[in-house]
Amino acid sequence: MRPATAANSNDLVQRAKGGDRLAFEQLLETHYDFIFRTACKWTGKKSDAEDIAQEVCIKLATAIRSFDGRSAFTSWLYRVTLNMVRDTQRSTSRRDRTVDAFSLVHPDDDPGSQEEAATARELWAAVGALPDKQREAVMLVYAEDMSHAEAAEIMGCKEATVSWHVHEAKKTLRGLL
Amino acid sequence: MDDDKMTDEALSTLRLLRTSAPSSEAKKIAINAAMAAFDAAQVKAPRRGTFSGWRIAGFGLPIGTVATAVAALVLLPLGTQLYTATSRHTNATPPVSSMAAATNATSAETAPVVTADKPTAQGAAAPVTLQAPTAVPEPKSADVAPTANGPVNAESADRDVDALVAPMVASPAPMEKLRMAVPAANATRSSGRQSDFVPFATGDTFQKFDENRVKVTRTDPVSTFSIDVDTAAYSYVRGVLKDGELPQPDAVRIEEMINYFPYSYPAPTTPDTPFKATMSVIPTPWNSKTELLEIGIKGYVPPATARKPENLTFLIDTSGSMDEPNKLPLLKRSFGLLVDSLQPDDTVSIVTYAGSAGVALKPTKASDRSTILGAIDALDAEGSTDGVDGIALAYRVNAEAKGEETTNRVILATDGDFNVGIDTPDELKTYIKTQRDQGIGLSVLGFGRGNLDDALMQSLAQNGNGNASYIDNFQEAQKVLVEQGGANFVTIAKDVKVQVEFNPAQVSEYRLIGYETRALNNEDFNNDRVDAGEIGAGHTVTAIYEIAPAGSGGELNDPLRYQTSQAEPTGLASELGFLKIRYKDPDADTSKLISTPITQDLVVKDASKAGPDQRFAAAVAAFGQKLKGSNYGDMSWSQIANLANGAKGDDRDGYRAEFVQLVKLAASLKPDAAIGGIESSGIASSLVEVN
Repeated sequence: MRPATAANSNDLVQRAKGGDRLAFEQLLETHYDFIFRTACKWTGKKSDAEDIAQEVCIKLATAIRSFDGRSAFTSWLYRVTLNMVRDTQRSTSRRDRTVDAFSLVHPDDDPGSQEEAATARELWAAVGALPDKQREAVMLVYAEDMSHAEAAEIMGCKEATVSWHVHEAKKTLRGLL
Repeated sequence: MDDDKMTDEALSTLRLLRTSAPSSEAKKIAINAAMAAFDAAQVKAPRRGTFSGWRIAGFGLPIGTVATAVAALVLLPLGTQLYTATSRHTNATPPVSSMAAATNATSAETAPVVTADKPTAQGAAAPVTLQAPTAVPEPKSADVAPTANGPVNAESADRDVDALVAPMVASPAPMEKLRMAVPAANATRSSGRQSDFVPFATGDTFQKFDENRVKVTRTDPVSTFSIDVDTAAYSYVRGVLKDGELPQPDAVRIEEMINYFPYSYPAPTTPDTPFKATMSVIPTPWNSKTELLEIGIKGYVPPATARKPENLTFLIDTSGSMDEPNKLPLLKRSFGLLVDSLQPDDTVSIVTYAGSAGVALKPTKASDRSTILGAIDALDAEGSTDGVDGIALAYRVNAEAKGEETTNRVILATDGDFNVGIDTPDELKTYIKTQRDQGIGLSVLGFGRGNLDDALMQSLAQNGNGNASYIDNFQEAQKVLVEQGGANFVTIAKDVKVQVEFNPAQVSEYRLIGYETRALNNEDFNNDRVDAGEIGAGHTVTAIYEIAPAGSGGELNDPLRYQTSQAEPTGLASELGFLKIRYKDPDADTSKLISTPITQDLVVKDASKAGPDQRFAAAVAAFGQKLKGSNYGDMSWSQIANLANGAKGDDRDGYRAEFVQLVKLAASLKPDAAIGGIESSGIASSLVEVN
């Protein structure tokens, strides 16, 4: 996702894990935007995204030690952020999750309202109504432009499962688009 | 595939989703907060060098292996542990690890905001004694859903059913302090049948069992089993399916799958009867000649004011293997929910084992939320130390906070590492039983996959008058810890056994679906020394028999030549059978009996007139049977999905909708065309495509 910073990140991650304060701060500086934008895409609300980004940062203070380098740091970070998004949505509106939590992008939050972006938002609303896993798979594959394998890594499942979720989602969406 | 391409193109516009630029102020605040948390974490956790990435694998050893036996040599003798742990006044303060210390900024700020407005719990619990007969109305339902291939008869028996619950008090059984009974889950036999499914190869172990067979009523009229409110099998199966694999047949325990779902059976209105049985006989969706007898039992829900304060001790596995997103981190995330659902008077304590062992949180009132969350947040899975006497410590800590009127429970959270300080399963069970008799129960929460010893989990919980639940995601944690928290933590009746005697004049054959690992000998029904399952506040339990009505042609066995069907006394001749439920009040040693005839007016001839609960339970049974490659039941995945979909009812929490998705997922993993009902008379399944 951010190949340019990858090598640098790894070094920072290792140092932060070892308790290097400066390295950890630098890591946050580098990745805050990524965390925020990810949260923004998933929640559609700037204020929610800021809250989530902050919680992810705080969480990283302890969670960084459990990063084991088996996946790329950004994939791992994406997963942490996504988990936080899920938790927040579940705890704020447990009953009407699909309705409330996946509310539309607020127009104020998105000043650049070209026609295409508007279409994307409409589509996003339809995607928002999908079951959790399907929505995640579609967002990762289409909004984040990941391969099924990359999406699988983030979702913590098999590549085939991602493909299946995408397939199911498309079937549902076909009538709506 | 043009359609597909169009959808593809449309979806790719998602890439154009715009995000706002982060505000630099928010960024600054976030980073500052994180730095504070980082500093706090460095103080608490010893610094780790470059080896921090290494984990010591293999410490998650199941009990009974050589390695754990060796580790156990350094432990205290069992007798000592028992002595210390069971004495009612424990003065020795257990060591408090430094982890419990300061609450950090993190926990206070990240805790999920779930407000529970419940009145404060007050002392005395409602007395639970058995009384007069109670009418049990059958839930009526108007919503009509076509079932897959059930017979559609014109005549309908849609009437309210007044099943009489006639109580009796059983003859007093010997009161023994230490029960040496055989746990119900002892039906270990080697499986004779090969499944046509390719099982999911994991390190998880499951008790092997043979599916219940069809019994001929004339030779074998009585069926006995223990109640089972565990739901672990469903969440496990769901997890495996969602990973794109098929579960091994022994992992599919149908009764646990059925009991996973909430059903709206009528609850008893007074605490005099701890539970109420609702029965219904509906057409079998997979066999037009047979019927399903569904027995639904609902536990009494005590009003919040009658709730005793809970005294919960979490015994948490912190071995290295717990350091996976779906284990300790999931447990931590779930914990906030639990804490919010507790009453201020409740007490929580945390003991860890396997990793960093010791008391992570001394008994703390639930009102002190931040201290509790701080302690759980500080837990760290690092697996290097061995068990020490985690379990004894947990019971000791729990006993410390035991009050006159508290409900006491140790909750073991693990991914399969039972290295808790007692090295053989049998000793562990005995120990848990002894503690149970001292008034401290045990529940087990299973996390992750790959190392779970399911049978042990189940039998430990059973010995501790608790349940085993498998937690595979946040939603499940919420279900187990919060929505069913009351049921899982407050036992309203124990050693609940069910016995059904069928009337050969009406039912020529029967088969109990599921409950294989809960089978009891018929003579154990009246034996109070034989342990059985527990029912918690508000629990529902469902048991389903597939029955072949006499003369229906649904029998699998030929009629007997030398038996006559004229032998029945006239008054009883029309009954299908007789249901008996035996249970003990939570603190009693003597069981009570409730019984009721299974009468003709319970029979619903028209499948569409059956209640959604009944139809849904049938769908889950069909799913379980198909998933394990059962000899019985023959429906296509889509028929099962349709049946379930039409029986969703209220489904407030979406569990049933999720089930429908799961059926579809299974269909894609094992398409019908490939197996097409090899073993039974597959008419429909091979013809119906799953879409």
